[in-house]
Amino acid sequence: MDKWYNKSGNEGDVVISTRIRFARNLKEYPFPCRLNDETKCKVAALVKDAILNGNSALASRFEYIQMPELTQEEAVSLVERHLVSPEFISDRQGRGLLLLDDESVSVMINEEDHIRIQVMHQGLDLAAAYDIADKIDTLLDERLNFAFNDKLGYLTQCPTNLGTGMRASLMLHLPGLQQSKAMNRIASTLSKLGLVLRGMYGEGSEPKGALYQLSNQVTLGISEEQAMSNLRDVALQLVAQEREARNNLTKNIEVVDAISRSYGLSRYARLMSNEECMKLLSNIRFGIATGIIDKIDFDIINRLMIETQPATLMKNVGKKLSPSERDRIRADVVRSTMLKTNIPNNRRLEN
Amino acid sequence: MLCQSCGQNQATTHIKTIINGELAEVNLCRECAQKLGYNSFFGNFGMDFDKFLGSLMGGNESRTLKSRKRCNCCGSTFEDIAKSGKVGCANCYDIFYDELLPSIQRIHGKTVHIGKLAKSAGSEVKMKSTLAKLKEELTAAIKEQEFEKAAKLRDQIKELEAKG
Repeated sequence: MDKWYNKSGNEGDVVISTRIRFARNLKEYPFPCRLNDETKCKVAALVKDAILNGNSALASRFEYIQMPELTQEEAVSLVERHLVSPEFISDRQGRGLLLLDDESVSVMINEEDHIRIQVMHQGLDLAAAYDIADKIDTLLDERLNFAFNDKLGYLTQCPTNLGTGMRASLMLHLPGLQQSKAMNRIASTLSKLGLVLRGMYGEGSEPKGALYQLSNQVTLGISEEQAMSNLRDVALQLVAQEREARNNLTKNIEVVDAISRSYGLSRYARLMSNEECMKLLSNIRFGIATGIIDKIDFDIINRLMIETQPATLMKNVGKKLSPSERDRIRADVVRSTMLKTNIPNNRRLEN
Repeated sequence: MLCQSCGQNQATTHIKTIINGELAEVNLCRECAQKLGYNSFFGNFGMDFDKFLGSLMGGNESRTLKSRKRCNCCGSTFEDIAKSGKVGCANCYDIFYDELLPSIQRIHGKTVHIGKLAKSAGSEVKMKSTLAKLKEELTAAIKEQEFEKAAKLRDQIKELEAKG
């Protein structure tokens, strides 16, 4: 089964993926923070049964994973593939995960809330991702009793999720705006619009790989459609600004040089740290989008960005590796993939 | 503990994250957390609650009285919720509705849900939501000059309103 992250979608030069997440709880049980492991397992069994034996075409494509049974690498790899939150693997007791075969849908059981439904799609694709989350939610609502209040909407452990319980997020690649030092200004403007922008990797001021996550902050008093429409409008403006910033930057020979060097390194380097790898892949993605590098699909880069993460690397190799072994294998993975792509048609700079 | 981003202020926001294949916790001060998009209305929730309680309740006496109220489902007191920033169960929202409302207002700017309803939603809310949807469709139909459709929608709306 081809995983969702092996494809690229609408506005794929900037928007890597779309995520819709619903938070839901069962009326009859206290929230997970107030449950012992035994009761957590009861909740997990109820949710698992509702999905696997529910009247849905998707039911047979779900796999149920008992979180305590995973190795640490397998658990961390789930986070690297954006299937679960870091919080979810910090204490795995009593927690379960339902995962669709193409990894586009995951249902976390007993994270902060009893149920977290998450749907991921490539590119900008809010409506389609919402549609699937909505269907799974309706299916669960038929078989379980959700905690719901006429005034406050869906009840959640944290009041920040009350109302629709929906968080819609877009993963954005913003090397142009990052290099133009525009991120702080943009982030503060967005917070006034009820949206939040944060780095995907690393908590520094310049997130690794120039990957950012844009999501809605407010969930109460605003419908799902309206929240998604706001997010989409703002995202499209950001996409336009990012493209403009890229065009301006690529007039600079130093930027073009950095992109071209990254491409060269990706094809010949023998050792590559995670940090260097993210930087190179980000530069290459930037280069493809601006035509400096030809003929590599975004989906190849999207896939490499995930497959070269430390735990996913070890999971794919099937054993624990020291950091230096990982650097060697990471370089191998990148090199062999990039050498399969065509030789670039290096364009001369105009003017 | 000092903030790991600026290295100067006291860290108040703790974020679980993955660094180089390992689960780690990053500790940030309020300012850095906000700068990095961890807009934690909730990181300061506990503090705000204390202030809120203090100003509202005045003396210590009423405060202890207030904190004696317990959720009959999960056993949480309001202080438990304020300190941990975690609401204990669905029932807590009924028991501590008045106490929670100011924070909810501050977080979302609104206090009444709009959007999808669970099957357990009350019939009145369900009808209101259906009405709102029909009215939206009606406006759209008039705009598109689909008068036959509009007439049907108007009848449906009238019928529903008569029931209510």
